[in-house]
Amino acid sequence: MSLIDLSAAELVAQLRRGDVSSVDVTQAFLNRIAAVDKTINAFLRVDADRALAAATKIDERRARGDSLGLLAGLPVAVKDVLCIVDEPTTCASRMLERFAPPYDATVVAKLRSADAVFIGRTNMDEFAMGSSGENSAFGPTRNPWDTERITGGSSSGSAAAVAARMAPAAIGSDTGGSIRQPAGLCGITGLKPTYGRVSRYGLVAFASSLDQVGPMARSAEDAALLLEAIAGHDPLDSTSLDRPAEKYSETVSRPLEKLRLGVAKEHFGEGLDGEVAAAVREAIRVYESLGATVEEISLPHSRYAVATYYIIAPCEASSNLARYDGAHYGHRTDEKAMLAELDTERKALVAVGKKEAADDLDSPLVRMYRQSRSEAFGSEVKRRIMLGTYALSAGYYDAYYLKALKVRRLIRQDYDEAFAKVDLIIGPVTATPAYKIGEKADDPLAMYLDDVYTVSANLAGCCGIAFPCGQSTGNLPIGIQLQGSPLDEDKLLRAANMYQQTTKLHSSTPPV
Amino acid sequence: MVENRTIKTAQLKVGMEIHVELSTRSKMFSRSANVAHPDHYDATPNTLVDPVVLGLPGALPVMNRAAIESSIMVGLALNCSIAEFSRWDRKNYFYPDLPKGYQISQYDLPLCFDGELEFIGANGQPQTVSIIRAHLEEDTGKLSHDISCRHGSMHVNALNQSLIDLNRAGTPLLEIVTHPDLKYADDAVIFCQELRNVCRFLNVTGGIMQRGHMRFEPNVNVIITTDEGKQIATPIVEVKNLNSFKAVKGAIEHEFNRQIKQWQETGLEMGAGMKSTRGWDADRGVTVLQREKEDAHDYRYFPDPDLPPVVVTEEWKQSIATCIPELPQQRRRRYVDEYNLTDADALTLTTDFDVSNYFESCIDMLQQRTTSDMTAAHMGKTVAKLLLNAGARRANEHHRELHDLGVTPEQIAQLIEMREANTIGSSAADELFDLLCEHDADATTLAESCGLLQVTDSAQLDSWIAQALEAEPEAAANYAGGKDNALGRIIGTIMKLSNGKADAKSASDQIRRQLRDN
Repeated sequence: MSLIDLSAAELVAQLRRGDVSSVDVTQAFLNRIAAVDKTINAFLRVDADRALAAATKIDERRARGDSLGLLAGLPVAVKDVLCIVDEPTTCASRMLERFAPPYDATVVAKLRSADAVFIGRTNMDEFAMGSSGENSAFGPTRNPWDTERITGGSSSGSAAAVAARMAPAAIGSDTGGSIRQPAGLCGITGLKPTYGRVSRYGLVAFASSLDQVGPMARSAEDAALLLEAIAGHDPLDSTSLDRPAEKYSETVSRPLEKLRLGVAKEHFGEGLDGEVAAAVREAIRVYESLGATVEEISLPHSRYAVATYYIIAPCEASSNLARYDGAHYGHRTDEKAMLAELDTERKALVAVGKKEAADDLDSPLVRMYRQSRSEAFGSEVKRRIMLGTYALSAGYYDAYYLKALKVRRLIRQDYDEAFAKVDLIIGPVTATPAYKIGEKADDPLAMYLDDVYTVSANLAGCCGIAFPCGQSTGNLPIGIQLQGSPLDEDKLLRAANMYQQTTKLHSSTPPV
Repeated sequence: MVENRTIKTAQLKVGMEIHVELSTRSKMFSRSANVAHPDHYDATPNTLVDPVVLGLPGALPVMNRAAIESSIMVGLALNCSIAEFSRWDRKNYFYPDLPKGYQISQYDLPLCFDGELEFIGANGQPQTVSIIRAHLEEDTGKLSHDISCRHGSMHVNALNQSLIDLNRAGTPLLEIVTHPDLKYADDAVIFCQELRNVCRFLNVTGGIMQRGHMRFEPNVNVIITTDEGKQIATPIVEVKNLNSFKAVKGAIEHEFNRQIKQWQETGLEMGAGMKSTRGWDADRGVTVLQREKEDAHDYRYFPDPDLPPVVVTEEWKQSIATCIPELPQQRRRRYVDEYNLTDADALTLTTDFDVSNYFESCIDMLQQRTTSDMTAAHMGKTVAKLLLNAGARRANEHHRELHDLGVTPEQIAQLIEMREANTIGSSAADELFDLLCEHDADATTLAESCGLLQVTDSAQLDSWIAQALEAEPEAAANYAGGKDNALGRIIGTIMKLSNGKADAKSASDQIRRQLRDN
């Protein structure tokens, strides 16, 4: 068995015992990246020298007998949405193409103190806006199971990197399903923690009240290891929950007794692919065979979830992305050309006697803003900024944003009521397996509807995990989702692990 | 038909918006040092920054508890209700001094609301201005357009760029908004001064106007009564960013006249969305239009998802209330009640924080030192008299504030003790005050070395009296004959002979005994 086929937990164990060196492990994954990433495009940047230097240092410290962190020597891929000091952090946008933050995100700092090796920065939908991975300014990521197909998004690169064995584990972020959905479509395990469980400090904000950072790995066991390293209270994030991180990696192997699963009837309605429905129902039977009881529940407001999400997320995004104005950092339009153009426009208007129109032309500052943003943002980002700006405008605020907040509260109440009866909610993570690249490119609404099973957890602040539960006739992974009450990550991981220990479905590998 | 625009009366109506930069150690939402804190007043541009202040991707705000406590303190001092629950909102707009593209402020749930501040108006009568709200927000950075002047060595390219200094960005800013209760420019100024004074008594701001610690924005309009008895309100004008009391007065007075003239010319009245914004041109003494009503911003306020609401428990509020020191109004009342000062004197000694503290220190020092049986009331009255006479005169001459004359509270106390013990005469005391302005020495030592101590030694006094009676035989005869006012001339001569060192009272007694009592 090659090193790249080992699980993160196994690699950490071997590293700890000294069976392998971090340099060997890192090199193995670097080789794999070199071999397949031209096809997959999971990584935006890989700095082999830097990774190997970090690995060398950890090996040296281990040789000296220093005490090392939880992930010592394990390569981890990081979505390009988390700040790493003095390294480009682009959010797959032209806007931040040459931006290198002067500080580490808290999650990055935690991974550093756990002695993880940063192997590369993963591709994503621009500013985490998208459900296919196609919205990257640097090209779409391709699904390792079928390179004609999407990976899902927005954590496209992290999902593909883990699925294609280019990294044993990766960090993603999930605002409306961006960890769980690509995990489902790429056949890996991805966990969106409870809002506030993992610090958002240094996570480039998309929608602040929904964003969460989480682990993406090959199994629940590996995800537990990663979550343990990154979770915990952070005084730099006021929305961070003041609760210590749990020892997920130690508890994940303990099966849950008397597990009560809820099945929401709303999850099995129109639009759900037959094969997906069948795979999910089969998984439910597996749980029953493991002693779980299954109860039908209702999440009556879940049908408003997508609409609610696509008000709240763009509203927050329109404000969060205002800072990219070309004035302080990031892309700025060529000012000389811009001023010349402005001058030409003015002269042309004056020449035909349209003096008023000439006076109404943009000021140089406004033109600089307008042009810098027009040039550097992709169309989906612009669409969401416009949606949000509109919805927050005077006269529309009450009808859209305020209303959405009220519905959000109802959605949360649905969950509270459900979790009074069951431990976890089980259901699909996507309606269909991965579709072809370009298939929904002209239909943003269809793409928004892909988020139907995942956005509710973000709106309610719950946690959720996605992992493979079968394959379609086209050999594409089918995912399943478990959702848990706030701070029930431990239950999610243990339940997923029970399933994975029984079915071993998570260990199928893609053909790439 | 031409409208009749003859004016019978015109009444000014002014409400104030006041921005107060709080002098907390760190900024409103980050650990970065605060430029409004005395330790950082002159920091090099763009050194008081961090990822939060710079609005870098991924940076998050964390509220500064001290800033909230300072604001609650101001709110309580202004008799405001303190919201049990208030929250942070984002005010969205683009400007290069605002790195995040939004300002964190409080929109519909301010921390403090429904208060009032009483002050003594220009007519000497107490009046009250209602406070609508006081909310916390973060200040913006500063742009310098005049690059050549402020950054002489800096390269300026052909694009005529501006420079940004983000040291001020994120400074805690308390915005206080009043009802339009003010009717005179002078009262508006006194109100602003009193508010500054309260904030300085509370020690929540440096309050240095030149540094922009307080910025005033009057909202001005005029209620005109026509000859026909019709009442008309002119459109409201907000004058932005005034940072001197002179500018507040000038801008309000100018607006009063300008709005009346504008109404006479155009007949324009107040209506919905008619508010415009003007700036103050101090050189020309006029306000200048900045923004017409149709350019009104839509700030797209919404609750900031990065920050939890501010919850103020009764307990927290009470613990803050106990930290509130004696405020100018209370001090004024105490001076009148305890020291028997006139209202006017009490006002003079409390309208400036430093002067008031100086007065207090002088009394404290006197209480600590004195061995005489002076009552507290007498001490207060005596110090006040000294400061308001000898002190105020010097302050006027030197264009300085009382506390800035260079006389220490200890010296003041010594001077008063000498007067009480009658070891120095009144004119010598006055002379000594001058010397104290220039010297650090002990007042007694200084008086001694300069020969200012009173001579009560009878041999010396007798000799001066003898000389004086000889020099003024007519006055001596008149006094002996019963004309009391002749004594003045004799004493005057004695003082001249003694260079002011003779004790006038002892001399008078002695002369009376000599010329009348036998």
